[in-house]
Formats: sequence, C-alpha cells, structure tokens
Amino acid sequence: MVLFYETTHEYNHDFQTASLAYFNRYPNPYAKHVLSTDTIEQYIDKDGCLRVTRLVVKRGRLPQFIKPFLGSNLDSWIIEKSVTNPKSNTLLTYSANVDHRKFIKVEEYLKYSSSEGSKTLVEGKVKFSSNLIGFKQRIEEWSHRRFSSNINNTREGLKYVMNRLQQAKGWKVENS
Amino acid sequence: MGNIMSVSFAPECTDAKLQYDDCFNKWYTEKFLKGKSLENECTEFWDTYITCVNSALAKQTVKPMLDKAREDQPFTSEEIRESAGTSKK
Repeated sequence: MVLFYETTHEYNHDFQTASLAYFNRYPNPYAKHVLSTDTIEQYIDKDGCLRVTRLVVKRGRLPQFIKPFLGSNLDSWIIEKSVTNPKSNTLLTYSANVDHRKFIKVEEYLKYSSSEGSKTLVEGKVKFSSNLIGFKQRIEEWSHRRFSSNINNTREGLKYVMNRLQQAKGWKVENS
Repeated sequence: MGNIMSVSFAPECTDAKLQYDDCFNKWYTEKFLKGKSLENECTEFWDTYITCVNSALAKQTVKPMLDKAREDQPFTSEEIRESAGTSKK
C-alpha cells in the first residue's frame, strides 16, 4: 500500500537563509520530539554540488498500533540526504525512517529553490508505504493525520529558524 | 555564533559536532554558496567528529539498518539536472 501527499510553500527568506535553516532546523520549538542530529557523510560531487547525509533521532514517531511489534525501543532513527547546487540555488532533500521499515516506510522528498530573488519555494511529496496486512485503513488514517499536523510544524519550525538566522546576522527581519 | 545547535546522538561526540557545525555554517554561507570554495574547509573538525560518531554507531543495534538505509538513492541524476534548470524540459 502506497500513499502520496504533496506540499508547496513559499517562504519570505532568500535561498541562503532557507538552505542554511534546513541544515540547522533542529532544535526548534515546533520539533520537541527531535533528540539529536548528526552528519555522517559530506562531500562535494563532480558537478560541484554539496552532498550531505545526516542521522536524526526522534522520539516515538510511529503509530500506536505498531508499538506492540517494537518492544521497548520507541525512538525512531531517520536518515536525511541532501544535494545543494550553489550555481542554481537549489536544494533537494530526502528523509526516511531507518528502522521499522518492514512495517512502514515514510519518505519525504523536498526541493528548495530560489524564487523572485528574495524568496524560497519549497515543493515536494511525502510517500507512505506499508506491507502490513490488515492495517490498511489505520495506516491511511494515521498517515493523513500525521502529514497534516507535521506539515504545519515543519513550516513553523523552519520559519522560526530562518528568522533566528537572519537576526543573528543583523539582517532585517520580515514576517513570513 | 550565537547559534543554537542540536546535540549528537552520542553525548561524547557533541563537542566535536558543535565545532564542526559552526565551521560548516560559516563555510557554507560565506564560501560555498558564493562559489568561492569547492572544498569543505572544516576537515580538521570533521575528522575528529566523524571518528567519534563512527565508533559510537558501531555499538548501536541500528547500525545494520542504517547501513542499508544509506544505500537509498533518492535523487536521480536527471532530477538533479532538472532542479538545476539545465534540462531541456
């Protein structure tokens, strides 16, 4: 079973601020479930793009009805991959759960691109896949709820970090 | 500075991580995005940090699953080209 959700949002911050916010988006008050982030790989590829792989640990992000399968370990490990192109000012990001994949896999693909010079457009999709037989409806409901509440927290969290980064630089802070 | 940064999953690596992240942020904004540098200039901090993280990861039960997840290839070269606006589409 596979479900897709799409998302588009424009931020009133330039690409430099928005992409730096991506790398620094935790901690923020809208992501209290995030426990840690680590960079586990980084290099510049042959096209001059920056490739980064990170590992994020979040607390209890899987649905209640899956918990009996998991035992006492309720933390989720998330892998994130990104490609930043400094020439075109675009950033492609991917995130997916590392563990519990045999129950459910949640993958997010986003593209950050410079818009009108001073803004950043973020568009992408989230894909939920599961092979759990008999849980179809519950997974659909859960993923829909999860996506709806997450999308708002993700946006607010990113905006919060963007504003903070601009303030730290002494730039003009705009409401976005 | 004055930036708030998240901790490492391994508490013993957090200091090395913060030093690396701080260096990375400066390099990323002041050099990389401006086309002034095609080399991560934080290798000194990176080596210390990644050595710490790798030895901490080796003790984690999630390690085999992580190695598998690292094989994910989410971006095709076509997508990357397209996002860079160089595709003919």
